[in-house]
Amino acid sequence: MSRAKTRHGGLVAWGFAAPALLVYLGFLVYPALNSLWFSFTDWDGLSAGYNVVGLDNYTTMVDDPVVAQAAVNNLIWAVVTVVAPVLLGLALAVVLNGKVRGKPVLRLIFYTPAVLPLVSVASIWGWLYNPQYGAINAFLRAIGLDGLAQPWLGQDSTALGATMVAAIWLRVGFPMLLYLAALQSISADLYEAATVDGASRWQQFWHITMPGLRPAHYVVIALSVIESFKVFDLIYAMTYGGPGTATQVMGTWMYFNVFQYNQAGYGTAIAVVITVVAIAVSIPYVRSQTKEHAV
Amino acid sequence: MNDSALSRRRFLTLTGGATLAAGLAACTGTGGDSAGAPAGGSGNGSKDLRLFTYEDNTTIGLLKEQVKQFDAQNGANTTVDSLPGSGAAVYPDKLRTELLGGKGPDVWRIWGGQIGAPFVKAKQAMDLSPYYQKYGWDSKINQAAVAGMTFDGVKGGMPFVALGIGAWYNKATWSKAGVTTPPKSYAELEEVNAKLVAAGITPLGTGGKYGWHVMRLFEYLLEVSAGPELHDKLLAGAESWDRPEVVTAFTNFKKWQDQKWMPEGAIGLDPADVELWYVQGKSAYTITGPWTEAAAIQSAEKKSADYGVFQLPTGHEPARHSGFVEGYMINARAGNPDLAAALLDFLNQPATVKALKVTASVVTGAEPDQATLPLSYEWSQGPGKQPFYTIQDQAFPKKEADQYFAIQSDVLQGKAGPADAARKMQDVVKAWKR
Repeated sequence: MSRAKTRHGGLVAWGFAAPALLVYLGFLVYPALNSLWFSFTDWDGLSAGYNVVGLDNYTTMVDDPVVAQAAVNNLIWAVVTVVAPVLLGLALAVVLNGKVRGKPVLRLIFYTPAVLPLVSVASIWGWLYNPQYGAINAFLRAIGLDGLAQPWLGQDSTALGATMVAAIWLRVGFPMLLYLAALQSISADLYEAATVDGASRWQQFWHITMPGLRPAHYVVIALSVIESFKVFDLIYAMTYGGPGTATQVMGTWMYFNVFQYNQAGYGTAIAVVITVVAIAVSIPYVRSQTKEHAV
Repeated sequence: MNDSALSRRRFLTLTGGATLAAGLAACTGTGGDSAGAPAGGSGNGSKDLRLFTYEDNTTIGLLKEQVKQFDAQNGANTTVDSLPGSGAAVYPDKLRTELLGGKGPDVWRIWGGQIGAPFVKAKQAMDLSPYYQKYGWDSKINQAAVAGMTFDGVKGGMPFVALGIGAWYNKATWSKAGVTTPPKSYAELEEVNAKLVAAGITPLGTGGKYGWHVMRLFEYLLEVSAGPELHDKLLAGAESWDRPEVVTAFTNFKKWQDQKWMPEGAIGLDPADVELWYVQGKSAYTITGPWTEAAAIQSAEKKSADYGVFQLPTGHEPARHSGFVEGYMINARAGNPDLAAALLDFLNQPATVKALKVTASVVTGAEPDQATLPLSYEWSQGPGKQPFYTIQDQAFPKKEADQYFAIQSDVLQGKAGPADAARKMQDVVKAWKR
């Protein structure tokens, strides 16, 4: 191919990419860099003026007990709401991939929570957890386990766990769907051959299913981890970060500072930290995807 | 903005990390040129206005109807937008986002005190002093209410309502517990609570999600133990919170939880749900304002006669209750502030106020209608005439209010004792005043 042709091809490619690039620059890069800038200021989020305070917002974070609490909550949230939905989603996918009656209906039932608006999910679980009139405590009392009935969202010791249960319920459908799709791509011949060779169901799962799901694992786990670090809405709607600050996570604490405490500079500094962590976590996923496409 | 060597423009020029940017955008909400030049309102001299409020379904129709009349009289075209049911915890955020996004309303409704203050401090709301003069608002409007919309000497808002908080109760639940008359002292209130619990009824319907609803109980208990003068000084940070009167208030607060005088796990309950319990008979009473008659009792198609209201007894003179002011502000960048001010003046005319079924107007001649809102009328003619102390989520800035709510939460969960709580509260107030 001649040099002129190559150059022409390059220009055409840039031409096609330009609209998306402009949107990306205008709606992602520019606002993001603006946010980064505000993290070095004491902007209150409303006034026209502000002062540049260097790294003060970042050093303040070190002494902020709520940041420490939020970081720990984020970590717990990340582990629990990634591991549990992924394992449950995998289990459901494997079961639903087999010979089960009413398979389409079951798939729909398990995936439905994932499409519900988060505010509805928060309301549903808020009612279920109501200490006096909620279905959970009513059930526990009905089966004689009165001692286990708790004010689930009204005490520090159970509030975060209670919101995580709602999150697991909400998120289990997504990995299930991805795993189901991936399971369809594993050849049935492999299972037939393994059966002829006398492999047990467990051996088939471990040596055929799991390796076959490897690309899906990357996607499911990476996206779940990123999602978990960005958690905001469910916590905000279910507990508002409370009781006290017991269920604050970095996302909600950022929000409170930016939008409620008139500390937009400090809040955006928290956002920068969340972003850096999310990017660090997503690197393996991005690399794996890049490698895959390069092959 | 100071003359820093590194300006925002220079910074933006120097930085170009697209990868980092993508992630940042996903996690942050601020941006654009909002800090530099917030915009909003209609164009210069425009007859178009936008009014932003938090009226719910029971009153938004009435407001729109009145605004339509104003438009007809003034050749204006006013759009009314509402964010109902969000409360002071959410509505100001939405307003702030609109203002920063350049689509701010010309006129907005807002609470007074520390909730409205940031909008005036940030010069997003205009100084209404010229319009106070033009329309004679100082002489027409209750002065205590004007004070609630004056921020560091700037008349940043026009008060619209001055609402008092009292105990609204369900007569059937009281009868079931053998209670015939409202309590006259705090000791009698405790006796009423005990009788209600004995009859299997939760006395006070309150929920601590967001903090402010349970706060209504604590501030009452503080008024009881500290009395009016000390209470006011505590709210202003002029006296230390680390004192016996505050410890007593926290001790009583915990007692209400331990004696089951408030719902189990109250701290995690949504006030929007729990406040209605007294209408449904699930609790005996709640602590709220006169709006509850139209918004809760009558909208549930219940009769006002089956409910009652009384001022929570403090044992002090003057007998005060919690109260707050709500009003309207005008966008500092409104294209036609004169028209916006005319709208405000129209909204505070007694005839308009009556048509809006406002139960706690700040202008005379606009008392609630006795026939349609008998309880609100009763309140306005009795306790409503008494002075009030500033409701605590307006007395403190939001950050300090949240810290205070966290302390309340710790007390109710037994994680902090009353004396600890008083000390922690003093730390919060001290840091705020520093």
